[in-house]
Amino acid sequence: MNIKIRNTMAEITGASVAMIWMWLNLSEASIMTIQAVSKVLAQGIGGSIILIIALHIVFNILSSIITGQYEEDVDDERDKIYELYALQVSSAIFGVSIVATLVLLGWFNLTIISGLIAITFSGFVASILSLLLKIYLYR
Amino acid sequence: MFKKKIQIENAVRKLRFNNDEMTQQQLAELVGVSRQTIVAIEKYKYTPSLDLAFKIALAFDMEIQEVFFINQ
Repeated sequence: MNIKIRNTMAEITGASVAMIWMWLNLSEASIMTIQAVSKVLAQGIGGSIILIIALHIVFNILSSIITGQYEEDVDDERDKIYELYALQVSSAIFGVSIVATLVLLGWFNLTIISGLIAITFSGFVASILSLLLKIYLYR
Repeated sequence: MFKKKIQIENAVRKLRFNNDEMTQQQLAELVGVSRQTIVAIEKYKYTPSLDLAFKIALAFDMEIQEVFFINQ
C-alpha cells in the first residue's frame, strides 16, 4: 500500500468514525434542543479533523515500523488532478444533497434539526465518496 | 478520427534500465514528482502533462517522441 492510499484510508477512517459517533449521539435528536444537536455536530466535525491528523501520523509511523523505511509524501501534478476529480464529485454530491434537503424540509414540513443533521451528514458522505474515488484512482 | 480515444504508451521502464538501471526514485527526484507517479506512468495508468513528459525525455537526453508514442 503506497503512502497516498494510506493517507486516504486514514481520512476515510477518521470521517467514518466521526460520522458513527455523531449518529450514536444523535439517536434521540427528536427530543434534543437545537443547541444540543449543533454542539454534537460541531464536536463531530472538529473531532473528525483532529482524528484524521492523528490517524495520518499513526498510519505513517506504523508503516515506517513495518517496512523499515520512511516514505516522503511528495505532491505533484497527478495528485492535483486526482484532488480536482475528488473535489468535483464531493461538490456535486454535497450540492445535490443541500438542494434535496431544502426541498424535503419544505415538502414534508420537517424541523430545522433534521435539515441540520441531513446537511452535515451529506457533507461527510460526499467527502467519503470522493476519498473512495481517490483510492480507485491511486490503485 | 480524432474523437477516438488514443492510448499513449511510453518506453520509460526500458529507458531506465538502459540508463545504468536508474531506479524509479532516482527518476522521480530528477523530474520532481513522486515515485508513485513514475510507477503509474510506466503502467500506462497515468498520462503525464506535456511539461512532465518533456522533463522525462530530457532526463534520458532523448526526444519526447522517442519516449512517449501512440500505439496505433
